[in-house]
Amino acid sequence: MSKKPIRFRDVARPGNDPLVSLDAQTLMKLDPLEEQPVPRTPRPAWLETYDFSLDGFSDFDRPRPKTLEEQERFVQAFLSGLEKLFDPRNNWTFLKALKLSLDYCLRCQTCSESCHVYLASGKQEIYRPTFRSEVLRRIYQRHFTASGRWLGSFLGADIELNFNTVWRLLEMSYRCNLCRRCAMVCPVGIDNALLAREIRKLFSQELGIAPAELFRKGSRKHLEAGSSTGMTPAGFRDSIESIEEIIAEKTGRKVKVPVDKKGAEVLLIHNAGEFLSWPENPAAFSILFDAAGVDYTLSSDLLGYDAVNYGVWFDDLELGRVALRHVEIARKLGVRKIVVGECGHAHKALCVVADRVLPGNLSLSEVPRESCLPLLRDIVKSGVLRLDPKRNDFPVTLHDSCNVVRLMGIVRPQREILQAVCAQPLREMTPHGVWNYCCGGGGGFAIMDTLNFSEWRNAVSVRMKVKQVLDVFKDVLDPGTRKYVVAACSNCKGAMRGAIAHYGLKDKFGIGYGGLADLIVNAMSDLPRPYIEWDQER
Amino acid sequence: MAFQWFTIVFGWASFFLFVVLAAYKIHRIATLPLNLRWEVYPVPHETGDKRLYGGSYMEEVDWVKKPRPSSPLAEWAEMGSEIFFLKRVREHNPYHIWPLSLALHWGLYLLILWMGLLAATVFVPALAFLTMAVGIAAFVLGACGTVGLIVKRATDRNLALYTAPIDYFNLVFLAIIFGLGLVSWLGDPHFSQHQSYIASLLLFRPTPVSTNAILFFFLLQAFAVYMPCSKLIHYVMKHFTFHEILWNDEFKVKGSSKDKQIDRQLSCLATWAGPHIAPGKTWREQVRGPLAGEDQEK
Repeated sequence: MSKKPIRFRDVARPGNDPLVSLDAQTLMKLDPLEEQPVPRTPRPAWLETYDFSLDGFSDFDRPRPKTLEEQERFVQAFLSGLEKLFDPRNNWTFLKALKLSLDYCLRCQTCSESCHVYLASGKQEIYRPTFRSEVLRRIYQRHFTASGRWLGSFLGADIELNFNTVWRLLEMSYRCNLCRRCAMVCPVGIDNALLAREIRKLFSQELGIAPAELFRKGSRKHLEAGSSTGMTPAGFRDSIESIEEIIAEKTGRKVKVPVDKKGAEVLLIHNAGEFLSWPENPAAFSILFDAAGVDYTLSSDLLGYDAVNYGVWFDDLELGRVALRHVEIARKLGVRKIVVGECGHAHKALCVVADRVLPGNLSLSEVPRESCLPLLRDIVKSGVLRLDPKRNDFPVTLHDSCNVVRLMGIVRPQREILQAVCAQPLREMTPHGVWNYCCGGGGGFAIMDTLNFSEWRNAVSVRMKVKQVLDVFKDVLDPGTRKYVVAACSNCKGAMRGAIAHYGLKDKFGIGYGGLADLIVNAMSDLPRPYIEWDQER
Repeated sequence: MAFQWFTIVFGWASFFLFVVLAAYKIHRIATLPLNLRWEVYPVPHETGDKRLYGGSYMEEVDWVKKPRPSSPLAEWAEMGSEIFFLKRVREHNPYHIWPLSLALHWGLYLLILWMGLLAATVFVPALAFLTMAVGIAAFVLGACGTVGLIVKRATDRNLALYTAPIDYFNLVFLAIIFGLGLVSWLGDPHFSQHQSYIASLLLFRPTPVSTNAILFFFLLQAFAVYMPCSKLIHYVMKHFTFHEILWNDEFKVKGSSKDKQIDRQLSCLATWAGPHIAPGKTWREQVRGPLAGEDQEK
């Protein structure tokens, strides 16, 4: 990337020329990969229609306003949204955190190098956790505070507000994975990832602008069709038949997957993407729960078979709508609690964040929501399964989902499982646990593929995780040695899948990936053959 | 005599203004709506090694039904390490501001202690030597820290880009106070003038005080009034960012005060203009009701 110093006033620079342009030479090095992929610039036809003025990448196939009047309306709508962001009725959900983070940042930059995007980009200024926050802060001060109006540039509140400023701010909010690693290190507790999410929220809730994959093809499809994958209840029931066939084929066992079983102990909700992309994962859950005698059910109700909640990335109302329906389904079935399958953001949304947008009778105290990981740990440790770790005699590393470790504090169960089911000691990445780096797919990035956004994701966002994986396997990089990256999260798996394909990690180094439940089943000594099939896409 | 009375009145007025303004700022934040849960681990009130590796009660099956031991003391210990040693800055700031920032903060802490000692010395003269030592340390550390930070912010581009004139103003303000403290000490090694002023404040007894000392206290008192209006009051706001948000892992219990508060908040009108948000409906109705707006722009 170019290293010409960026100034805040550059954010208002008119035109479609990016503030920075990718240069493979300055991206963080990925030893031992020799050739650094060079992202392509936007297609000429795209440049005529869409805005790439931040860094030459975008997920928004929304035509640039053609006239000054359209641009002005856009800016005014943004200001209207910004005002509502600070209104206790419209933004009671996060106003306190927003105010604190906007008003009390000391600009010490302690958070800078906690951000994997900033580091992977070669420390590009626009990706620094504080850069977009500072733009937001300066606009807010200038337009909504008396001190900003009177003192202006003395406070730093001197950014010109035009279409380019607003659009680049939108794009910047989608250069943050919302992993919140920056919030861990801030001496004042400022949360720059929250500010990125608040910017996203402003655009979604006021201007109706959000990545298609998150809204139109995401939360809306989820609420209307039942799943962000488009899977309908009928489609779900078909996929359950497929799951039972997979189980029979792989294990020789006839396992009936319970669906809509009233009064079961547990409602298990998977990310529906698993049924389509990694069906062996929900199949593994059914094998394990069947073997352990867990009294559970899946749901075929609209939304009941898809745990995702994309609102947690960009829209509080969509977050509440999805969560409410999830918990109401549990009430309807009369289960005692919900257990969330291997999906990180669904963990955080359902078990933590959404608790305070639900009415009292759906509180966590009334309908508990738990992670699948402690339950899997207890099953493994109970001795009810016949496990032979030698079946998993290959190097294994664990990618921690940010949502599960840093944002929920679930760190040990997955490690205790791996200790019990793997022959070789777990290879911990540096850093790991709550200090992990995001897979690069967090905040919705794993599913965002409009225009050339995926090229940015592959070049920058997943880069740190690729480095960690290469580092942790550096003594066994021979492609003849199969290696397994455990990712107990659908979005993390999606990001790993993309990274492995983009950097050729499977062909060059024999690096594959998969879920945690799959690995447990692979260690079951009473199965006729290995559960994990290395020649599949993984 | 009138000027001496003015210094007494100004001293007490600045103190009360500080208290009132700080209370007002705290009240404004404290009365904002209850935030959604948004914690980040490790949360220091966890017990045992969970606190070290960042574990939570959610690592257990059926955690709702189990005891969830919590250590408020550990939470305050963590905050103490932040206040007194700037732990996060030391461990994570890549631009080496920690020694300078630590010097500035300890300069301030010792300045407050020194003021207390000046007051105590009025009644316990034996504290004079300690008062002098603390004062000197406060001024030296504070001056070094503030001047160092001004230079650092001006010369390191990673900091300079983000440093607005107001940030320099804050540092220069403090640097002048610490500098004046040093200058006044050079002319009055035992801080007898400062002690006279503090005694006049406490006893409401007008006393002539040197120009250096009175200028120092004027600036310090002006700073006390200014501070709550600026982000320098961040040390109080840390209570909210850490204890109420980043470390708040309390789940909602039906019928609890939090549940009732959320119930009230759900009754607020959501007037966002997005096409998926129905006009004239409360949050509760928006979330529960039929879906609005099929056609978001993108």
